[in-house]
Amino acid sequence: MSDVDLRDEAPTGWFPVATEHDVIARVVFRGQLDGRELAVWRADDGFVNVWENRCLHRGVRLSIGCNDGNELVCRYHAWRYANRSAGCTYIPAHPADAPSRTITAQSYAAVERYGLIWTTTNGDEGSVPDIGTLSGPRLLLRSLPVNASPQTVREHLGSHRFLPAALLETGTAASADDAEVVADHGESWVTITADAAGESSTAVFFVQPVDPHRSMIRGVLADAPADEIPVLRHHAYELGRLVRKIEEAVEEPAERTPPRGFETPVILPANPWGHQRATLSMVVDRKAAVAADIALFELVPEDGSTPPTAQPGAHIDLHLRPGLVRQYSITNGPGETDRYRIAVKRDPHSRGGSAFLYEAIEEGDTIEVSPPHNGFPLRRNIPRTTLIAGGIGITPLIAMAQALDASGMTFDVHYFVAAPQQIAFRRRLATYTCEFHVGLTPAQTTDTLLDILGTPTPTRQVYACGPPPMLDALKAKARALNWPADAVHVEYFENTNEIATDSSFVIDLARSALTLEVPSGSTMLDVLRANDVPIVSSCELGACGSCAATVLGGDPLHQDVYLNDAERQGGQVVLTCVSRASGERLVLDL
Amino acid sequence: MKLYDFVLSANCYKVRLLLGFLGVSYDSEVIDFHPGKEHKGEAFRLINPLGHIPVLDDDGYVLRDAHAILVYLASRYDPGRSWYPVTDPERLGSVAQWMAFADATASTASATRLHVNLGYDFDVDERRAAAHELFRVADEHLWFGERTGNDWFVPGPLPTLADVAVFPDVVLAEEGGIDLMDYPSLVRWTGRVKQIPGFSVMPGVFPFERA
Repeated sequence: MSDVDLRDEAPTGWFPVATEHDVIARVVFRGQLDGRELAVWRADDGFVNVWENRCLHRGVRLSIGCNDGNELVCRYHAWRYANRSAGCTYIPAHPADAPSRTITAQSYAAVERYGLIWTTTNGDEGSVPDIGTLSGPRLLLRSLPVNASPQTVREHLGSHRFLPAALLETGTAASADDAEVVADHGESWVTITADAAGESSTAVFFVQPVDPHRSMIRGVLADAPADEIPVLRHHAYELGRLVRKIEEAVEEPAERTPPRGFETPVILPANPWGHQRATLSMVVDRKAAVAADIALFELVPEDGSTPPTAQPGAHIDLHLRPGLVRQYSITNGPGETDRYRIAVKRDPHSRGGSAFLYEAIEEGDTIEVSPPHNGFPLRRNIPRTTLIAGGIGITPLIAMAQALDASGMTFDVHYFVAAPQQIAFRRRLATYTCEFHVGLTPAQTTDTLLDILGTPTPTRQVYACGPPPMLDALKAKARALNWPADAVHVEYFENTNEIATDSSFVIDLARSALTLEVPSGSTMLDVLRANDVPIVSSCELGACGSCAATVLGGDPLHQDVYLNDAERQGGQVVLTCVSRASGERLVLDL
Repeated sequence: MKLYDFVLSANCYKVRLLLGFLGVSYDSEVIDFHPGKEHKGEAFRLINPLGHIPVLDDDGYVLRDAHAILVYLASRYDPGRSWYPVTDPERLGSVAQWMAFADATASTASATRLHVNLGYDFDVDERRAAAHELFRVADEHLWFGERTGNDWFVPGPLPTLADVAVFPDVVLAEEGGIDLMDYPSLVRWTGRVKQIPGFSVMPGVFPFERA
């Protein structure tokens, strides 16, 4: 056995790790490159994901999980990871919590070429070898595993022989040993041209380093014979002969080196997102009218990367110009991970953001965007979900509807609009159980909400988003019908409460060991920022929940519209952007 | 119908699988194979002098040997004659060929599992190497099946006893330390078997799951 441990000189560059036959729909393929196990899967949109083969939760192989076409679901506790971004979208054991953005599977760049899936685990340097011979017609041969080092395999490939495809199609008595071959050694591949009886074939054999003692030979024939099977059989047989020859030449049977990935610690990146900091430059790839006064914007990262994972209910901040930062819900369904889709309504009462976006931003424009934040996470542990939208409030709910639909869960949609031409996402909604409530008066709306709610049951939950009066009415009715607070989830786009800022009080920051004064006219968030206490914020209106802090002592004076009644009464969480202390002091877990 | 059965036995699992595919109900008579070695006891020798499970008792007709039981059950309870295609000599021959192949996996792959799980004394490295040789052949066979639109061990639209006979030793092979990574076609085929209506699981075998 060779003494060379290739781990000391890990192969760099791009290698094939699977064939196009391995990454068929709804299957997860298990591969390995240089000791690192990989889960390779193709989503329904055609994108091929190459990930480290382990769930971030308990280390179970993702390759035994389920490819639902949009997401890979771990077999053990059903953590869901999104196509492209590899971000975790849902943790069933914590249905009320949005998974942290740092929970992202280790993914590697993937390229499809010559019918093979290529990746590199040593950064993105270099590229897939450009083999001119294979630019024309080609036939992917059967890949064969070999218990020998890649170096040994490459050496032996120099003596590999086969017959030209043209002879095999017509049937021949010739043997591969009769062929004249010329071998040309590339970096990690060998090109072989075989001549016999006036015919010629060229094949390229790529050598995939599986681990220091095992390799995979992945051959591609530079020809497209009409009758493939005899050609494939011949190559499988001849390559099988070569494999046996190589394995006999290797003195000891190859020891199977344990997969290496498990030794490597997962290093979670430090949270690079401060408060209201835009970290993504995104280009408007498409702008389209989807209803009266509603435009759909599709945003793609300017650098061509995959944007951070968004879960149903999440929103992004759009930095439209200095001082004008606005939140928009992401409407994407599962698997739509290459872009963010937002819908913007031109609102005559707009504070400026929506009108600016709707009127001034066009395809090709670049917008600075913050990564998604989810203050409205969708619980998927309740059998039936009712989604109630008022006007443009449909946006987070359409994302939820698609996620519920993809998971095969029961849900219904109620969509309140002033006029039929204001209905967005009509085509998508047509495939769901959806009722439109058009042109109702406030009193009729309240009565309809009462009907929709009905008697609470433990098997049903409600998510609602819309104008504040409608949500206020919904909450009041739910309370009157004895719905538990944690079964009715609402998201306000705006906070129409009068916000008092005239009190002054002190905040004790337990973790930072700081005592800060919040003077009249300032918010807790202002004071925290001024003292460089890291805290995330988004809308700063008490609507999105981004800036929530845990209260360890003192009574908050809530002025937000984000917390539900139970949270409000519990007094253990406060939104630092608008709320204050009802007494002289609050102790925060910051 | 009574099956002398042990839940962890790959050979008993074959029979349970086919009973499920055929929709035939039966009672399990649990034999304490491990740790009691009840199949080697005097009482069980009366039922099978060879001291092996499974044994089938169909209303007084007593039959031993998993593959014999498969042939009997398919011949008696599959009116469509698809599992054991007696009307097609070539396919029938192929079924017998792959059932014999499954005898070979039983003495190799299955033996490694008995070694790892139950402490049986085998030269486990030798058996693993032999199992890998078999799996290479099976994987190539199925890879060509995929190229020609054949889902099953014996070409044809429906699975046969060949698939039932080979399935347990393949799907349980990793318990014996036989890594299936090199056999992607074999792994994909296990996924297809799991989708046959009536499929049943055993400890160590996941059902097919659509999210």
